[in-house]
This record gives sequence, structure tokens and C-alpha cells, in this order.
Amino acid sequence: MSSDHSGALDLRLRGVGKRYRLAMPDRPRKRRWSRQRASEFWALRDVSFDVRPGETLGIVGPNGAGKSTLFKLLAGISSPTTGEIQVRGRLAAMIEVGSGFHPELTGRENVYLSGAILGMRRAEITAKLPQIVEFAGIGAFIDTPTKWYSSGMYVRLGFAVSAHIDPDILLVDEVLAVGDEAFQERCFERIHALREAGTTIVLISHDLNAVERLCQRALLLQSGVIVADAPPLEIVRKHRQWAAAVNTSVPAGYRHDSVVRITGGGCIDALGRPLTIVRTGDPLRLRLPFSVEAPIDGVAFEVFFTTQGGSVLHCQQTTALDGYMSLDTGSSEIEFSCDEIGLQPGVYTITALASRDGGSVLDSHTFPARLVVEPGKMVRGYFYMPHRWTMRRHASSSQSSRDEAFGPAVRRVVR
Amino acid sequence: MNAVGVAAHAREHARPIRIIRPPTWRNLYGLDAIARLLEYRDLLLTLSAHRLSVRYKQSILGSLWAVLQPLAMMVVFTAVFSRLARMPSEAAPYALFAYAGLLPWTLFASSVSSGTTSLVTNAMLVTKVSFPREILPATYVIAALVDLVIASVALVGMLVFYAVPVTIHALWVLPIVALLGAFSLACAMLLGALQVRIRDIGIALTVVLQLWMFGSPVLYPLSAVPHSARWWYIVNPMAGFVDGFRRAVLGQRLDLQALAVASIITAALVPLAFVVFKQLDATVADVV
Repeated sequence: MSSDHSGALDLRLRGVGKRYRLAMPDRPRKRRWSRQRASEFWALRDVSFDVRPGETLGIVGPNGAGKSTLFKLLAGISSPTTGEIQVRGRLAAMIEVGSGFHPELTGRENVYLSGAILGMRRAEITAKLPQIVEFAGIGAFIDTPTKWYSSGMYVRLGFAVSAHIDPDILLVDEVLAVGDEAFQERCFERIHALREAGTTIVLISHDLNAVERLCQRALLLQSGVIVADAPPLEIVRKHRQWAAAVNTSVPAGYRHDSVVRITGGGCIDALGRPLTIVRTGDPLRLRLPFSVEAPIDGVAFEVFFTTQGGSVLHCQQTTALDGYMSLDTGSSEIEFSCDEIGLQPGVYTITALASRDGGSVLDSHTFPARLVVEPGKMVRGYFYMPHRWTMRRHASSSQSSRDEAFGPAVRRVVR
Repeated sequence: MNAVGVAAHAREHARPIRIIRPPTWRNLYGLDAIARLLEYRDLLLTLSAHRLSVRYKQSILGSLWAVLQPLAMMVVFTAVFSRLARMPSEAAPYALFAYAGLLPWTLFASSVSSGTTSLVTNAMLVTKVSFPREILPATYVIAALVDLVIASVALVGMLVFYAVPVTIHALWVLPIVALLGAFSLACAMLLGALQVRIRDIGIALTVVLQLWMFGSPVLYPLSAVPHSARWWYIVNPMAGFVDGFRRAVLGQRLDLQALAVASIITAALVPLAFVVFKQLDATVADVV
């Protein structure tokens, strides 16, 4: 961007820390006035970084890493306990201010009110009102009291106001949590436009895809400390790996009957090498070694793909095609393979399970390594569909119509 | 997109640098905070207008309530104090006397009671957006000032009705109301910042304001206070303001001593309240 102010930084943080005192709800009442120290908690510790003019910085980290605290400090909502933050120019946060709306006031009055709260001058709001109304998709409802708005309209208008400040530095906090897909896309476009115009942008988010899509540089925040400062792709990978490594205490498996034991398990690539990272749309193979102590029939194997939140996204069972299995004594191995996995980017836990007669569980085994899925053949959505594009020319000329499957060129488009 | 680009470049000339540091009593938030406050003057006006327009939405009598409330109090107090207790009223009709006292008192009481809870009531804004938060209590003071102007219509009516001559002397009302507004704002800021941490303040305030009213010359004249207690009495700035306002309206000679004490206390309290407010305000979003 502009190199005319090469020495100047838009944001400069040095040794910034934030301490919270935790309230103790169960403290006996008589100690309320004593000088005893309430328990303390450092949400941020010794955070230092710079943001250059025109730069787009992403800050990612797991829940509780201190992202919201950092947002509040940068936005000037709260003061740091230690250190210093230097802000050059007008800083504005892109947030949903609908909660500050007064339900009795019309949309227009509320736009003026929240615009003023965000630091806009009256004339500036008047000039931008048409844009704001269009952005929010409110149309004629702008002169209706907001108490009669649908919740979607309320949120969109609340967000549209803050999206139309023209700051020097834009602070974005979880844009993608607002509105429907179309609206989110408009938010993205708006951020893009501001970025093209040279606005410095700081995006604080746990939406890794957004950070990858928008940022030139990213910071990884963990337990209130910056642990990495690198290009977004690397940060996103680090974050996913970190998330995968966190040990979840899985119950030791409900081993009602140990005739069949799953002795291990893992993801492998096409050459049989262990694998922890795949891309959406890549092939995936799972190896499930097991041992059998006595001949048994009516056995089925299942694999579960579970999100970090614990919801089962997908489950496949061997009975689906082959019916129940009869197993002989000894060690064997079963393999699950899939040509194109449909999981969206994220971190997943895989659990394998052996059961008998569709009921009693023989053994279960959660893979020690989680599966990290990175963006691949997916544009947007909740899952990937294995697919193929075909173009068909209509037989307007006397030639018979001919299917024309797209080659690799199309694949690039899809990616 | 082009328009955005142009705007960004037009602004490039002067970018102020703001430094955010941990709050300390040493930096007195002097000029910086005042400059920032000036930047947000539109917010002060918009938010104050909003207070007024919202208050009487969906009420039939609307802003007439600004007159009706003190008027109703006046009727009650006149019935009790004039008829039953034979309260002295310095040669003025008691109804007029009480109404002229209730107006400045209502300004103070409503500013302080709504200003004190302003940070908590607007917690949604306080925790989401950064702006000079002293604007919140200030808007309630401005709204109360507008109410005073509306209620003054009835005062003028009463002056005409009782054939009290209005002279140039009445202009004393202006500096007195300005000082009273500043005093109300100072109290609202101090209590408002403390209220965030100590919610007892808001609860106790109703009772305190009741007692304070009886400790101020609202329903009786300042001259009725025993001479021995006078100094203690006028340390309460409301004594000077309420008495001053009424004497200015009724065309009586001002008690300059009481007014001077009230003004000095106000002049000292305003900067103190501002500094304390700014200090507590720095971490208010963490507690509210």
C-alpha cells in the first residue's frame, strides 16, 4: 500500500496485559469488606505486535484464548492493566449494534442514534443512509419502529450501520455470525472494498476460513499469549494441529464382551502411510486392526465421525452392504475407504466400534489422532458432494448433441 | 468502492494518534478527554433528543407530563403545607412559591436519579462500543433541562395569574440554571460511576433524594432556617440554587451568600467528578 508513511504504524501494542478479578459468588457475606485479594485471572499477558498501514491481520485462537479481551482493548471499550496501545487514526469496530436500538424508534432514527454512538457525524450518516438501508435490505421499513422488525432485519440493520463507517483501522469481530449467507457475503464484499481502499483491518475470529480468505498475516493467541505470528495458512494449520492434539478424555470404551478387540486404528493415505491432515474431497482410508479370541458371528463394525462439539456427523456400518460378519480366531484388519470425503474443513474425532447382532457393543476405540480437514474441493456449505460437471450442447445445428465432460480446467474453477 | 477510496485518501492528512494506557490517577484526562468529548457532540445531541422522544412515546398526554408532574406535586404540597401547616412563603402565594421551588428541585432529582443508573441501563452500549461515556449521564441532565423549560410555561402562567410583575431581574434564572445543571451533572457522574460497582447507591438514592428535598428550601423559604444552623444549611448547594431560582423568578432580592457557596462547591465538584468518572470508567465495561 502507501509507502509515504513508512515509519508510522497503525497499531502498536507493547506489553499489553489484562487482569480480571473473578467474583466469588459463594464467599461468606462477612468477608465482603475484608481486604483479601479476590482471585485474579490474566486474560492477556505481555501482548506486543504491530500493524502496518493497509495491512490485514487475523487473530485466531481457541475459545478463552483472550480474543474478546483483545478486541475490547483495541476498540477502547476497556483499558489494559499493563502496557500501552497506540492507535493511529480513526478506529472503528464492525459490530452488530442492534442491541443498542430503541424499539420505539424507527429504523431511521435508530440509524442516526447508533451511528452517533459509533462516532459518526450527523451529516456523514445522512450521506450514507441510502447505502446503509440497501446494505441491510430494509427498504421501505426504514420508517417503521424497530420493534416491528423481524429479528433478521434487526440484526442486519444493526450491523449495516457499523459496516458503513469509513475508518482508518477497521476492527472485525466474528462477522460471519451475523445474518444469512447472502448477508455474510455482502459483509465480506464490504470488507474487501475497505481493504482495497487501503483500510487497515484487524479480524478477530475463530472462523479460520474467514481469516484465510481475508488476511495477509495472522497471529495465534493461546491462553492470553501470542504463540505465533505468520502467514494465515500456517497459523490456521498450527491452530488445527493444536486443536487436534488436545487430549479429550474419552471413556475407556464399554467392553461388555472382549471376544473382539479393536487393537488400534488410524487414517492412512493411498500408500498406506499414517495421515492426520486431508483436504475436503480427498480420498481417505481408515485401518482397523482387531483380534478375535473365539469364533463369533453376527459382528458389525462402525465408524463415527464426530465434531469437536461432540455431535456425530457421519456413521457408516459394515452391515449396510455385506450383512453381519462371522469371524475366526486370530488377528485381522478391516479397512474403510472413501474416494472423496465430504467433511468440511475442521477437526474431527473418529471412533470405531464393533457390535454383535446389531446390539451389544463388543469394543469401541477412539483414534488417538484427530483428523484435520483443510479446505479443498469446496466453495461453501456444510458438506462436499462428490460430483462431476457436464456441458451439453443443444442440437440447434443438425449435429447430434454430445456430452462434454470438463477436464482439469473445471476442477480449478471448482477449487 | 471508489468513493471509499477517495474518502480514505482525503482523510490521510491528519490522523490523530491515540494512546491507551492503564488508568492512573496521574493523568488527569484533561484536554484529551475534552477534545474527544467535542468530537462526539453529535452523539450528545442525538441521544438527548432520543431520551425526550422516547420518554413520552405511546402516552396520550406526551410532553405535557413535564408540566403535570411538578404541578401535581405542587397541588399536594400546597394542600398539606399551606392549608394544614401554615408554612411561611415570603409574601408570595404558596402555590406559586412551591412550584417555583419544585422546578429546580425536579431538574436535580430527575437528572441524578436517572443519571446514576445510566451506565447500568445502557450496559449494552457500554460493553460494545467505545465512546465518551460521560455523555450518558449528560443526556439525562439535558433531558431534564428541556423538561424544566416545558414546565416553566406553567410557571409563567401562574406569575400572570397571581399578577407577579416579571422584570429583567428574572434573567438571573439563566446562570442559576446553568450552575444547577453543572452540579446535577457532577452528582450524576460521580454516583453513576460508583453505581456500577456498588448497586446499593441506586437503591438508597430514592430515600436520600426524599430527605435531601426536605433538607433544601423547596417547600419552605431559606429565611425560615434558624440563623445558628444557616452555615451548615447552605453548604448544601441545592439551598443556594433552589432559593436563588425562586427569588429570581419572584423578583425578590437574591441571597448572594448562599448562591456563592453553591457556585464554589459546584466549581470544585465538576472537575473532581470528571476525573473520578474517567478513572472508574476505564474498567467499567469489565464490571457492568
